[in-house]
Amino acid sequence: MLTVRLEKKFKTNGRTSFSVDVSFSLERGIAVLFGPSGSGKTTILRLIAGVLSPDSGKVELGSRVYFDSAAGIDLPIQERRIGFVFQDYLLFPHLTAYENVGFGIREARAKARRERVAELLDLCGIGAAAERYPRQLSGGEQQRVALARALGSEPAVLLLDEPFAALDAPTRLRLLEEIVNVQRQSKVPFVYVTHSAVDAVRAGDCVLILDGGRIIQQGVPAEVFNAPRDLAVSRAVGSENILPGRVAGHEPEAGITWVDLQGCRLAIPLHELAEGTRVMVGIRAEDIIVARERIGQISARNLLEGIVGQVVRGGAEVDLRVHCGVSVKVRVTAQAADALGLQPEVKVYLVIKASSCHVLA
Amino acid sequence: MTWSALRLSALVVTVATGLVAVIGTGFGYLLARRQFPGKELCDAFLTLPMVLPPTVTGYYLIVLLGKRGLIGRYLYELTGWTPAFRWQGAVIAAGVMALPIMVKSARAALESVDARYEMVSFSLGKGMLETFLRVTLPLASRGLLAGAVLSFARALGEFGATLMLAGNIPGRTQTMPLAIFEAFISGEDREAQMMALVLTATSIVTIYLTNVLTRSAKSGA
Repeated sequence: MLTVRLEKKFKTNGRTSFSVDVSFSLERGIAVLFGPSGSGKTTILRLIAGVLSPDSGKVELGSRVYFDSAAGIDLPIQERRIGFVFQDYLLFPHLTAYENVGFGIREARAKARRERVAELLDLCGIGAAAERYPRQLSGGEQQRVALARALGSEPAVLLLDEPFAALDAPTRLRLLEEIVNVQRQSKVPFVYVTHSAVDAVRAGDCVLILDGGRIIQQGVPAEVFNAPRDLAVSRAVGSENILPGRVAGHEPEAGITWVDLQGCRLAIPLHELAEGTRVMVGIRAEDIIVARERIGQISARNLLEGIVGQVVRGGAEVDLRVHCGVSVKVRVTAQAADALGLQPEVKVYLVIKASSCHVLA
Repeated sequence: MTWSALRLSALVVTVATGLVAVIGTGFGYLLARRQFPGKELCDAFLTLPMVLPPTVTGYYLIVLLGKRGLIGRYLYELTGWTPAFRWQGAVIAAGVMALPIMVKSARAALESVDARYEMVSFSLGKGMLETFLRVTLPLASRGLLAGAVLSFARALGEFGATLMLAGNIPGRTQTMPLAIFEAFISGEDREAQMMALVLTATSIVTIYLTNVLTRSAKSGA
């Protein structure tokens, strides 16, 4: 288990210009650090890895103490078993893919080393490119090699710093799924930095929303993103609902594809996706209409019954968290909220046009 | 005279270049990767022989290392050995004159290596030395090699400082540049010409090598 409690102030011209103050722990799986640029995501990774030293705090991995300001412990990077995967891969350009992966392997016997490299190349789906140099590999391939290399040193935790930022959408999607797979197989906990909400929901077992060097909310991604606790979180995560689901069927004549969310079914514009495919459906909070009564004849394809949970007021706008099987955030004007008496525990109907729902890449 | 000068130059320049390549890379690494007080002052001091007249550098060397020099005195008392007027003196003179070029090249070559590669190596459990040998050095190798070639050329042409510290003893400390000068003033034009041609050819090869090395270093190959 990774336990982190750290604090650091950065000064420019003697004044504190930025500070990080966080505390969290990660048992297993993938923890996502999410936040806008400048929210301190990468800084936190660097503090955990030992590239930067915190002013105070404690970083522990299992029974090993990496940093403890009270006890004066600050292990150098090479003694912390922390893997690092960067946005720009940083494969050693003078070594082949095979040699890159072999670089950090601790096993001394040649035969066992070779087997381990082959195993890692296979795990990351890059076996065919073993003899090529980084400049002969595509971005996606380089990223896979970087992942295999990081796992080669048997890290106790793997830190990934926006590893897909430079890749095109299809590659990114495929790699993200593979990363989740690799994590499940290797059982190494991952800390994954991203500013893509979709990636966070897709990959994360838990998410920490960061703003100005602080954690402003943490929890299960689908919940945190669709039900931000307050305005600050809402601003950080954006106004889009990101709903994980599965393709349930198609109605080509109606131009509709049905998606099963957990607990309810959603009509979205017709998509050429096989039944059972996992998808992320995006719906902007502003695009959802709220009604107090069931409307009979209506052109919108989706009418979801739900109960209002939290109500967050922010000036002229109000964000509602509505439970209808899944949590959905809805943004209405304060005027409308008052007119409809939108309070917690109130029963509402959400009206969503199929065309307001889109599949997120 | 020609052959002994050629042999001596080869010996002196080879040893000097070897030493300078190692020492210069060390200083270059410190300047490129470490922060310490007086860093730029240290850089300036190492660069001094490049701008000082060679005879002035030679003068300081003899004041420092000569038989009655500030350091040389103790060296002589303890070991009975002095670099002055020996081939080792020529090595020191050539080395000191070539060091600035090597330090400058090494610093630039090592600074051009993204420090995050070293971080990756650390994160893979490798220590400082292994990281330097397996990551930093290979990535900077072309720039370092180019620096070594230029240092070789500088050491080969060394005249003033060598004359001050090692003197001009035929067969013992008389390197090619000194031999050319002596051949010329004593009217042995053919010998002077021969040796001048040898040095010219070496210089052309040097320029060619440096260009090839720096060009492929830039293209990242």
